[in-house]
Amino acid sequence: MNPPDSITLLIDTLYREHHGWLFVWLRKKLGCPHHAADLAHDTFIRILSLTHAPCLHEPRAYLTITAKRLIIDQARRRQIEQSYLAELALAAETMRNFPSPVEILAVVEALTQISAALDGLAEKPRLAFLLHYLDGQTYAAIASQLGVSTRMIQKYLARALVHCHQASYSN
Amino acid sequence: MRLRAATNQHSALDNITRQAAEWLVRLSADNTTSSDYAALLAEYEKWKQADLRHAETDEKMASLIGQTRQLRNITSNTAPARTAIEAGFTENRKRSHIKSVGAALVLVLALAVPGWLILQSNPPAYLLADMRTAPGKWETRTLTDDSRITLNSASAVNLDFDASRRVLTLVRGKILVDVAADPARPFLVETAHGSIRALGTRFVVSLDADATTLTMLESSTAVQMATEKKLQDEAKDKATKNVNGTIINAGQGVRITATGIGAVANIDARAVSDAWKFRQLVVENRPLPEVLDEVARYRPGFIRYDRARIENMKVSAVLPLDDPDKALQLLARSFPIRVHTVTSWLVIVDATDMLIATDTFRK
Repeated sequence: MNPPDSITLLIDTLYREHHGWLFVWLRKKLGCPHHAADLAHDTFIRILSLTHAPCLHEPRAYLTITAKRLIIDQARRRQIEQSYLAELALAAETMRNFPSPVEILAVVEALTQISAALDGLAEKPRLAFLLHYLDGQTYAAIASQLGVSTRMIQKYLARALVHCHQASYSN
Repeated sequence: MRLRAATNQHSALDNITRQAAEWLVRLSADNTTSSDYAALLAEYEKWKQADLRHAETDEKMASLIGQTRQLRNITSNTAPARTAIEAGFTENRKRSHIKSVGAALVLVLALAVPGWLILQSNPPAYLLADMRTAPGKWETRTLTDDSRITLNSASAVNLDFDASRRVLTLVRGKILVDVAADPARPFLVETAHGSIRALGTRFVVSLDADATTLTMLESSTAVQMATEKKLQDEAKDKATKNVNGTIINAGQGVRITATGIGAVANIDARAVSDAWKFRQLVVENRPLPEVLDEVARYRPGFIRYDRARIENMKVSAVLPLDDPDKALQLLARSFPIRVHTVTSWLVIVDATDMLIATDTFRK
């Protein structure tokens, strides 16, 4: 997928005019030049991956918001990674195939996205989502577990999907 | 006026999102008969084609579902995944002080985690093995007794040689053994499933989760199950002198599982030998899932598929193992399958069957 030209152009301008400033801002905020350089780079990568060109009245504000989101996502990822590894170590004896390091990396990546998408969703829709798509349970089984009708489970799932979509793709 | 138009556009998008969600929920409802399902699917396709934004929204939503379902295939136990997802919620992260961690410490953590990760996912037996290879690497070594062993990709062995016997334990993967004759010291290959006693000989031993496979290239070996061996060791007397067990000759292969030694099958010793020499995978009439598992051993990362959908495809082929991605391309060219490279770590193979393809993974 090639990004539309407008985005490429925009990034080009954004990069030339503001990359240096963003790096300095991040270095002050993080206190570490290496981490700041990585984050500045990742910020532009993230903007590059957008499908629609952002409308930029305040390019620096936009850059700092994007960078802040990245920091939050990284914190999320670390938290998930630690939690997953700890749980995995506990469950190791009951598992037939222990995932390899690369499998774990890919799983953590997926978990991070799912977690970000589900964040803020009410408990029951969230449970319905995980029980159905992660555990593969039928609507009827989930309905009896949550003590509601299957019709309600369908509503929960639809609500969960809308929530996930909006969390992942708004702006 | 302009503001009004913007709001309208917004609610139109919200509508599409809601519709896409409802479609996906209907499509995975319980007890849908296949004719109902086909009708539903036709309607759904129509909806998707009605507007570019429909298809786009639907694809994004389905990809998150696909990712979630995929996790189930990777780990049999989903509890760790669920706990980790919940640990990532903003509320929980705030509680765990992660926000107060300084940037310097963050960097240290980022550096420290991979080491721990590797330790966690490689059981110590593999890490501490005397010889081991990484995925995609082969290694041949001459042992102190002049026997030669070749470790296939992602394999590990332990050696225990003394004055009375030579024991090689296969911890993981696959090895080719060329045993140097030494009448005074028997040569044994042991795995979780059994013990193979060489009688001056050349053979391949391959270890999987539930079986050990022995392929004889030259001469013969005697095979014992792990349980038999234990009984004999306990009896203590003729443990090393007596050659008990099933004799496997050149050109034969056998599977040893926890429950017993399988039927002896004929194999093409020449083809197996060449496969090791040229790093090729030679298969004849084997189910595609088995072949994919085999190819997966030679590349970092993993290959996922829905077994039920592809196990009827039987493969006869010579595939290059030193270029596993090419091997996948070759398979994709000869079978009705699609190979999606999600990341270089994750490849999903799916049958190109319109009806079910919509319900599984896309993109």
